[in-house]
Amino acid sequence: MAQADTVSISVPTSNLPLRLLWQGGLIVALLLLIVIFGALRPEVFLTVGNLRNILEQVAILSIIAAAQTVVMVAGDFDLSVGATATLSGAVVASLLIAGWALPLAIVVGLLVGLAAGLTNGVLVASLRLSPFIATLATMTSIGGLAYIVTGGTTLYGLPEEFFWIGQSRPLEIPMPIFFAAVVAVIVWVVLRFTVIGRRWYALGGNQDVARLAGINVSLARVLAFGVAGLGAAIGGIILVSRLGNATPTGANHYMLYAIAAVFLGMTLLRSGQANLPGTLVGVLIIGVMSNGLNIVGVNSYVQQLLIGIIIIAAVALSALRTRRH
Amino acid sequence: MNDAKPVNTADLLVVDGLAKDFDGVRALRGAQLEVRAGEIHALLGENGAGKSTLVKVLAGMVHPDSGTIRLDGEPVRLGSPRAAERAGIAVLHQELAIIPTLSVAENIALGHTPSRGGFVSWSALSRLARTQLERLGQSIPIDRLAGGLSPIQQTMIALARTLVTEARVLILDEPTAALTDSEITRLFEILRKLRDEGVAIIYVSHRLEEVFDLSDRYTVMRNGATVATGEIASTTVDDVIRAMVGREPGELYPPRAASTGPVVLEVRGVAGSRVGGLDLQVHAGEIVAIGGLAGSGRSELLRLLSGAQRRSSGDVLVDGRKVAGKGVAASLAAGIAYVPEERRAHGVDLEGTVTDNITVASLRELSTAGWMSARRALDLTRRSIAAFGIRAHGPGQPVGQLSGGNQQKVVLAKVLARAPRVLLVDEPTRGIDVGARAEIYRLLRQLSAAGTAIVLVSSDLPELIGLADRVIVVRNGRIVSELAAHTADEETVLAGFYGKAS
Repeated sequence: MAQADTVSISVPTSNLPLRLLWQGGLIVALLLLIVIFGALRPEVFLTVGNLRNILEQVAILSIIAAAQTVVMVAGDFDLSVGATATLSGAVVASLLIAGWALPLAIVVGLLVGLAAGLTNGVLVASLRLSPFIATLATMTSIGGLAYIVTGGTTLYGLPEEFFWIGQSRPLEIPMPIFFAAVVAVIVWVVLRFTVIGRRWYALGGNQDVARLAGINVSLARVLAFGVAGLGAAIGGIILVSRLGNATPTGANHYMLYAIAAVFLGMTLLRSGQANLPGTLVGVLIIGVMSNGLNIVGVNSYVQQLLIGIIIIAAVALSALRTRRH
Repeated sequence: MNDAKPVNTADLLVVDGLAKDFDGVRALRGAQLEVRAGEIHALLGENGAGKSTLVKVLAGMVHPDSGTIRLDGEPVRLGSPRAAERAGIAVLHQELAIIPTLSVAENIALGHTPSRGGFVSWSALSRLARTQLERLGQSIPIDRLAGGLSPIQQTMIALARTLVTEARVLILDEPTAALTDSEITRLFEILRKLRDEGVAIIYVSHRLEEVFDLSDRYTVMRNGATVATGEIASTTVDDVIRAMVGREPGELYPPRAASTGPVVLEVRGVAGSRVGGLDLQVHAGEIVAIGGLAGSGRSELLRLLSGAQRRSSGDVLVDGRKVAGKGVAASLAAGIAYVPEERRAHGVDLEGTVTDNITVASLRELSTAGWMSARRALDLTRRSIAAFGIRAHGPGQPVGQLSGGNQQKVVLAKVLARAPRVLLVDEPTRGIDVGARAEIYRLLRQLSAAGTAIVLVSSDLPELIGLADRVIVVRNGRIVSELAAHTADEETVLAGFYGKAS
């Protein structure tokens, strides 16, 4: 019985190149994409300007994916991050239009995200709903709130000083990239080096063992969802600033890509856990794909089709690797 | 005994009048337990006797309806696993021992990770882990992922964690289920050492030989109440069994058949990944046991015969007719039924009801033109419950709520609903208490008397010898010897397992 509960991780150990291919498969895939697009359109794809474009395009996704990583490390997942990002951005936009001071509006926007996340956490950890059902429901309701806040239309006429968040370019580098880097570093440090981070990993490994070891499992889960909501809010606010307007569904699509990025990143580790470096590589793969396919002239519907196929490939790969003997 | 060996008779842990109802089912009714510092105290009882509920209460996982728990004379409230831990009670759960995705060091310190300002202090963490492993005399690399370790190493890590909390009462629930004999010996050495350091150890096990080897005192529970307690040295296995089942221990193994019928199952040169070209004949009315070490190919042979694993070569014949294919469907169609080793993983759907489980293999027989007849399904279930003596509230009860023995009877009822010619059973009584075991043995013997050929795999030597007519010993995928069970003794069979002269 005990043996059936432990996952034996099979990585070919005798053959070093093969092992690197298994573990580094994700990085190999990223390099392969760069080589392919670079070969197809070197004059457009392989430029500093385009690199900057890619990073700018993935900056917001990487923030939301980092938030999702925290929840998935703890063994849950959150379908509502996209809707939460939309709602937080919309709240900030409507408050600014109503004449609120910028810092105050942003704080309220962040609190909205935090509250959405904590709600998910309480539903999952205290009321014991499955994360799938709980966050599917909150995704729906939060999406409804976003329509209510925006009145179902696009909110324009935001104050100029708000735009530095998403549109300024210090050192010629788009501001969202800095935000993404800061969020990534913070999440990485928290997951890797703090007690709460290691507790999240413990929950993700086996919740019952963690509970019996005296860890307050419910609290840790609620916190993880809270962090996810906060991260989603940061992403949503930056998006509204970057676009200069807020729509009722603006950031919803980030949810799927964020989960995809985390899944891709899980293949980077032997143990198959969610991890921030892996998530970032996953985000880059999605960014390079989408940018490269644009340059080559493949339309965005096909891109979405391909992203789905990539998720299946990544999950199948990790299933192969962690198959029990 | 107290004269010969002075012991600290002050009771460290006293449980009195503990009662607990689960949805109207009485799990505990006035349970009592007195455990002294520096003793190993066996907690015994059949499945469903209330042992695990009592353990869960002490672990802070279940809150009793009434009763008191005292530590050093002081009443304590064990509201949560944390509270139990603070009170000095640690529980080592075999199935919930470690987190596979964390390192050895992090597992040992789980819940007590040394930190400064919210950040993990890695050097203190390593020191802590090394110190505890040294106390246990273990040299497990602390940076390894715990999931990749052997069961004994995982048990040691869980044990090390209880040392971190300086537990005064240590509860072990079936700790040896996944361990080999030499590993069990090592574990026992460590437990004795902890006892000598003054830890009170509560040891829950089904293996009475182990209990008599290890424990100083015992407490027997039955139907949620404490029915006997005393010194191990002044009791016998028979007395303990009598207390556990509340009646005389009848002959555990039913009598063998006087004669056997024609060959029902014939195996010709069957080979798989470990098994290499086995021949075997099993007659009607005969129970053939396959013995061998884990990994010898004994379980693989059953999988090959059942079609759960593809045969690379060889033929299987039932009543002289060749099984047409190699998959499960072909074997089932030929009348070969299979009860796999891991009951919870492969044998039963724990969330499904008794009816769901019993009928799942016979849906076609219970249906007309694709519509299942609920009446026939219920009929079959009722008949099975009666015939197999399944103790359940009714056909609608989820199987997960039944005891291990009754779950196993449900599995048997499921495969036997198809009236198979051949029954393959792998570890049919693992983790099942004495009373239910006797019933399962009787069922198997009845079945074989009715003409079914039975092949049994078990790592329980007394069962192998007591239940079977013939014992076939396999090693490295080949048959090395064959013994008539009524003349075999444990030593010769075991010698065959290890390849010594037999």
